[in-house]
Amino acid sequence: MRTMKIIPNIKSVWYNLNISGKIAALILILLMIMAVFAPFFSRHPHHRSSGPPLEPPGLTHLLGTDELGVDIWAMICFGSRVSLAVGLGTALLAGLGGGIIGMFAAFKGGWVDRFFMRLIDIMIALPNLPVMIVLAAFFGPSLLNIIIVLAFFSWSTTARVVRSGALSLKEQPYIKMAAHYGAGPLYLLRKHFIPELLPIIMVSMVRLAGMAIVTEASLAFLGLGDPTSRSWGLIINHAVNFRGIYFTEFWKWWLFYPWLFLTLLVTSLALLGRDLERIADPRIGK
Amino acid sequence: MSALKSIKSLMVIEYLLTFLVIISINFALPRMMPGDPFLHFSGAMDEVVSFHSKAQIQYFREHYGLDRPVHEQYLTYLKQLAAGDLGFSFYYKDNVSAIILRRLPWTMFLVISAMGFSIILGTILGSYSAWRRNKWQDNALYTILIIFSEMPAFLVGLALLIWLSAGLGLFPLAGAVTHFGSHNNAWEKALDILHHAALPVFTLTLARTGGIYLLVRSSLSTVLTKDYMKTARAKGLKEFRIRYVHALRNALMPLFTRVAIQLGALLGGAILVENVFSYPGIGVLMRSAVVVRDYPLIQGIFLVLAIGVMAANMLADLAYKYLDPRTRPAASGKHVTIQLPAKVQKGETS
Repeated sequence: MRTMKIIPNIKSVWYNLNISGKIAALILILLMIMAVFAPFFSRHPHHRSSGPPLEPPGLTHLLGTDELGVDIWAMICFGSRVSLAVGLGTALLAGLGGGIIGMFAAFKGGWVDRFFMRLIDIMIALPNLPVMIVLAAFFGPSLLNIIIVLAFFSWSTTARVVRSGALSLKEQPYIKMAAHYGAGPLYLLRKHFIPELLPIIMVSMVRLAGMAIVTEASLAFLGLGDPTSRSWGLIINHAVNFRGIYFTEFWKWWLFYPWLFLTLLVTSLALLGRDLERIADPRIGK
Repeated sequence: MSALKSIKSLMVIEYLLTFLVIISINFALPRMMPGDPFLHFSGAMDEVVSFHSKAQIQYFREHYGLDRPVHEQYLTYLKQLAAGDLGFSFYYKDNVSAIILRRLPWTMFLVISAMGFSIILGTILGSYSAWRRNKWQDNALYTILIIFSEMPAFLVGLALLIWLSAGLGLFPLAGAVTHFGSHNNAWEKALDILHHAALPVFTLTLARTGGIYLLVRSSLSTVLTKDYMKTARAKGLKEFRIRYVHALRNALMPLFTRVAIQLGALLGGAILVENVFSYPGIGVLMRSAVVVRDYPLIQGIFLVLAIGVMAANMLADLAYKYLDPRTRPAASGKHVTIQLPAKVQKGETS
């Protein structure tokens, strides 16, 4: 029954999207296919040399090679997996955590609520990137660490949105009726709060994924990413740190293509998130 | 009035607690870190080479006071901080606070000018959009600004660097001033500095304008539907006065807190953008500190940035409470202040 309900929902969401949202969703689907089927898309290996170094784009190497002769298209294909893992992992962790904390704070009210609101305010105001840099410097930049730290520092916006949603839900007459008829908190959560708040959580998860991917790419760009995972940010980092790259032609493929894919992914996620926010909450935006 | 005052002092206490939390995290981090700092201490870059004997390590532990109980270490740490001592950088061989103070002006220059430009630009464009709501000008502006504000600043900066600096040679590739160059007078030097700062500031401005634009646009749109706008029109006031004195002034109130809240994001953007343009501010310093594992320096920078951002937030919060006539402490007897419960006020600022 559940799945039957979700499919027409997806359809109606699709019809409500703006043009920008639709284009963004299509780009995201393409990039996801690329990440899942990466080995089928790239003829060359992504982790070792497969031709002369710094070859311009051509028939053998679609997007050229880097300074070690590694195929850039292959690296981009496999790099999309890193971005996807970071985005999905953080979104799931922080989305669920933020959702639970938001609902809990709204349910309990009083001092618990006040404490969490204060914590959320602090978390939102804390400069995110310096924190990430410090933690990456102190605890080593493995991909798992990055996901955990990102989730730990990004649940706050979700929690705030979910809390305000839950608070207004709490005042709805039908919820009060249900409570009067003896519905326990668990029943209310399962039957009303979670299904009603799930769309909000999902939308903020799209946002979280975008934010996480940008942060991972930023850290990798600074040279603080996981050195064993060839993410797009790391390719950009290598290209930028190549001495005198701006005086050569190499940036036209080595720097440009990872830049293009990263920009496409991040911008699409953000535009889709914004559009979904508008659909989920008509008060925001246009 | 006492209720208001107590809210205010409660807020200050909460912020003080926040500062304490940040400082404690900063204190705890190196002590929670896996490994021993003295192992890294002796190695270059990433390799761990221990040249120290047991006795030497023991000496270092005593020298840095690591053999004393934690609470004692914490108290010494607080005392040092209160004296403005952030420790000693073992890579630059200088006081951390001195190094940071040398670099901070460049970052402040970038951040403040980007903030100023984005507020001006965002307000102008936002109000233009609000007055032409749902016409094509509004739609076009909305789409363009949203796309630019959603693109990460460092990616935009990279594109600008490649296009305008590397490709067309219009702007310098790196730095804040021309090295080994001689400036004939102060005017030429100022021009040189502006020339170097142009692209980083433009990048940051581009990234920030969208948010301010959206805020001004939506809050001005709400203000325009208010009754006092009708009253102003009915009084026969000039259109200019209605737009800029009545409408815009009221619409700009939320901007105040928003700018402070976004300061953290702006700083994060500045750190990255500085690295794109090799601009010698705090961001570049932080990166090189991480590369050489200069822990006291990393911590010092983090502390300065975090405390700075939180302090700006606190000031904005306090100023907002004062500026908003609904929550302002009454200046004169005839001024009636409606006391709102704490919850409503919180909702107002967020």
